[in-house]
Formats: sequence, C-alpha cells, structure tokens
Amino acid sequence: MAKKLMKGCEAIGEAAIHAGCKLFFGYPITPQNEIPEYMSHRLPQVGGTFVQAESEVAASNMLYGASGSGERVLTSSSSPGISLMMEAVSYLAGSELPVVIVNIMRAGPGLGGILPSQSDYFQATKGGGHGDYRLLVLAPWSVQEAADLVQDAFDLADFYRNPVMVLGDGLIGQMMEPVEFGAERVPCKLLAPKTWAATGCDGSRPTNIVNSLFLDPEVLEQHNIKLKAKYDRMVRDEVRFAEYFTDEPYDLLLVAYGTVARVCSTAIEDLREQGVKAGLIRPVSLFPFPYAAVRAAAAKAKAVLVVELSSGQMIEDVQLALRGAKPVYFKGRQGGMLISPDEVAESIREVLAGKAAEVVNG
Amino acid sequence: MFTNRVTIVVGHFGSGTTEIALHVALRLAGTGVTVALVDLDVVKPYFRSRSARDFLTEKGVGVIAPEGELAHADLPIVMPAVRRALQDPAARVVLDVGGDPIGTRALGSVSDVIPVAETDHLLVLNFRRPYTETEDDAVVMARATEAAARIPLTGLISNTHLLGETTPEIVVEGYERAREVGSRLGLPVVAVGADEATRPLLDESTLGCLVLELTRLIRPPFEQSRFRPRVGPLFALN
Repeated sequence: MAKKLMKGCEAIGEAAIHAGCKLFFGYPITPQNEIPEYMSHRLPQVGGTFVQAESEVAASNMLYGASGSGERVLTSSSSPGISLMMEAVSYLAGSELPVVIVNIMRAGPGLGGILPSQSDYFQATKGGGHGDYRLLVLAPWSVQEAADLVQDAFDLADFYRNPVMVLGDGLIGQMMEPVEFGAERVPCKLLAPKTWAATGCDGSRPTNIVNSLFLDPEVLEQHNIKLKAKYDRMVRDEVRFAEYFTDEPYDLLLVAYGTVARVCSTAIEDLREQGVKAGLIRPVSLFPFPYAAVRAAAAKAKAVLVVELSSGQMIEDVQLALRGAKPVYFKGRQGGMLISPDEVAESIREVLAGKAAEVVNG
Repeated sequence: MFTNRVTIVVGHFGSGTTEIALHVALRLAGTGVTVALVDLDVVKPYFRSRSARDFLTEKGVGVIAPEGELAHADLPIVMPAVRRALQDPAARVVLDVGGDPIGTRALGSVSDVIPVAETDHLLVLNFRRPYTETEDDAVVMARATEAAARIPLTGLISNTHLLGETTPEIVVEGYERAREVGSRLGLPVVAVGADEATRPLLDESTLGCLVLELTRLIRPPFEQSRFRPRVGPLFALN
C-alpha cells in the first residue's frame, strides 16, 4: 500500500481497522476528535459500526458489552474523557475483557486546556479505576509507531484478555507524518479462539458469563490471584523500550517517552556536535516499565535526567529502577506548553555543570 | 501571482492550506504589498497560522485571528475584522480556511461580503491524504467545499506531498491527477506546490501554471533547533 500523509488520529483509526476492529464507541473531545471522525467515515465502508455515545461513561460500557461478545473494539478520548471511563475500565479488567483504549492527552487537571500534555501517566500506569488491576500501556513517539502500536494493542488485549491503553500526547494525535500499512498483518501474539465470549448459546456448550462480581470472598481472592499472575506475565514478557546515542560513552542519561523523546533526541544530537555527551532511553511500554533497562543504561552515566510534559510523574518509576544508585534530575513543561530542544539542551548543560537541583523526595 | 484582491485558500487539513496561505501572504508582503492574513481555521486546534503571528507581523503581514486565550480555543470564532477587511476595497486579503467542508462553513458565514469578481478561491489537493485519495474523492471534496463556502471555486492548487518523504514523482503524479479533477470540474490548476528539491525539475511554461516553491514553515517542536526557533506553544518556524 502506498504511503499516505496521515494525522496521528487518522493513522490510529486506520490501524484499528487494519487490525480487524469493526466497532467504535466514543464521545468527542479535543484533541482526538479526528479518531471518531475517521472511524465514522471508515467503519461503514468495512461493514463495521460507529456509535457516538451520549457520554464517555456510556461509550465505555458499550465497550464492555461489545468486547464480551468477542469482537475487537476501540474507544478513544482525551484526559477528562478518560477519567469518566475509569469505572468501566476497572470492570473490563475485572471481567478480563480485551479492549483498546486510546488516550490523546491534553493538559489538566480538570478541564484544563486542549494543548498537549503527558500528565495522565499516573492514571494510565498506576490505576485510575478501583481495585487491583493493571493496564498494558504503550506510548508511541511517531505517527507510524502509533499505527503499529495500536495494531499490537489489539493482539495484546486478546492474548491477555485485558484492556490495553495507547497513550499519546496531544501532538501524536494532531501532527501529520507519512504512514505505511503492510499488506499482510501478522499478529504479534499467537491468539487462541475466544471460547469465553458470550456469543449466544444453543445448549451445545456451557453458558459463558461475563462478570466481575464475586460475592464469595474466597472466590474473589482467587480471581485476584489469577489476575495478578497475568500481570506478572505481562511484566515478564511485554517490556518495550528503545535506546539512542548509547553506543558511545555518555555522561548523562535522559529518560523520556512519546514526542518528548524526539525533542530530547534532537537536543542530544545537537550537543554531540559540541562535545557534550548524553544518551537517551525511551520507554515504549509504560506498564510494564523497563526498570532493568533503565538501571543498566544509567549505570554508564553520572546522572539521570527525566523529561516530561508533566510535573514529573515518571520520576517515580525511574527512581524505582535506579534504587538510589544515581542522582535524578527533572525538566518539564505543563499546561500545554511544549518543550523545545533548546530547553532540553540547556537542562543537560546545567545538570552536567552541577547547576541543577536534584530531585529529592520527602 | 493571484492578482485579485482576495485570495481564499481552502482544502482538507493536511493538503497544505496553511503553508500555501502563509507563502502567498509572505510573498505579497515581500513585494511591499500591505496584506492581511485571515486565519479562518475553526476546525483543527493545533498548527494554525495564528500561532505564527509574531513571525508574520515581523515580516509585514497583518494577522486577523482570535487573540489571547481564545487563540488556543477550538471555538468557531469569526471576528468582525474579517468582514471589515473583506469590505475594504483597498485591503489585500489572504484567507486560510481550515479543515474540510465543515470547516469551510466559517467561510460561508462571511460569503455575503466576499467580492466574488475580485476573488481567487482555490482548493488545495493532496492525493496522499486519506480523504482525497482518488479523483472521485477530490471532486466530492470540491463540490462539498464550494457548497459550504457559498461561493464558487475559481481554481485548484496541486500540492500532493508526503512532507519530508516527497519525491518529484509524487509531485508530478499529483499534478496530473489535479489536472484530471480540474477538467471534470471545469477549473484550471493555477499552481503546483513543490519543495526545494523538486522545484528545478518543474517548468512553468510546460505545466501552464505557477510553481510555488514551498519551504515548510511549520514544524513540530522536535525539529526546532535545526531551524531558527520561534517560541509558540506548538510552532517552530524556520
């Protein structure tokens, strides 16, 4: 298929269709409106169904029903809308239903603004909904990678029977880049038939029930233990990350995800020409976080600089990775302000010159 | 180039409407013409010409677009200054109309004051965009845009591109397809957009239209430091 120039949102929609998704439920919110717009245009062409629900709460519960029937389903929203979906996300995880949720983050808290942000890291990786559950969280840094990760997300969701979130900052949704879709798609996991799905029963098999209610505490505990074992398998098998400028010696390790990692990469490249040496590690899976890889990459550096469009939410995971072995510094912008390569370069210089303040806890 | 008093650039987002509107306005300003650029993009929240306000002002282009916090809103604001500029017989105006036929409704709301006889109303086509992949799509887009604008199109601008991955073949193929669409619509292709690499390969007299050499002005933040940074929340300008 010839390359197309696509907005991130359009590429996410097309990727879902490419992965066999026939159902979309959602509610508009900037800066991801082009996902529902694209799906409303494309799904009827492929025999699918698009529903604009009356709210995100309704949309997320429609996901529950549709996923329970074994179909591949997608929803997308932006930060405040994702908050509204969180009850259903917990139910989806509790009922072990595979869905793909795309969050194109805007600045918060509250209604905030419509410009890009990464301030939903905690919500995505540490909960958001109630109960012991985990989401697989994937964070693309380009439009092509957004298209690729959305397709993988459907396979991972089916494989683990768990919701998977694709987390992009506003730029991922709104910027345009050339994108290519392969002719033949090979799933990234070996997938079993969905024998658990509630597809209507004629008595030839035991009834399938999709449920997250367990009134007997012993049964509920066993259910939670089973889920925990699943999350442990995700941690073992689904860590994804990428390293840049780490083949040569470096004094400082940067940790950043999404488009911010591209900004860092530009800054590092410019500084290399001036003899300042920094490396970059980019978590692609935010849950599971690449703790071991960050620890190993940091071992070769004097210090670590975390760069985010937030007040510094990923710092906690970086600190868990480092276990105090290296000093951690932070550079961030908030409120929808983007960070420029020049600002990152300035931070790198400050840290290396001993002029930056170390992140301290408590 | 576009000698009429009013130049309106319409087209689906990603076709290059903003880049072309900026190019036309800057070129006019560069020749000493007092020009006002109207940002009528009410559809896409990021990457609008208003974000380049400081840069444009510095280059002598007046910018008519919501200011302050409303500059960042995704609200369908059409400022009174838009009508004033269109009604001023001495004003040279370039309109950057955002989005698709829905976005073009903003233009339709001021169609009663558009001096049709003095207006170039140009649809930008990029055949590498999802909504205009075929000639049929482009004809539908043109008709729907015209209907929403409530004034007829006067020409097409061929701007088929893949940003940094554009090849001369992509540009030429897009031009030929735009010609086909033009013949179906009864509209001339008045210009073809080309990047620096493709520009020398195109001959205006053979093509029978202008060639606009478009240096990409609007870039994502990760491309900033390579170019002269202009600090806006979303923009890098070179």
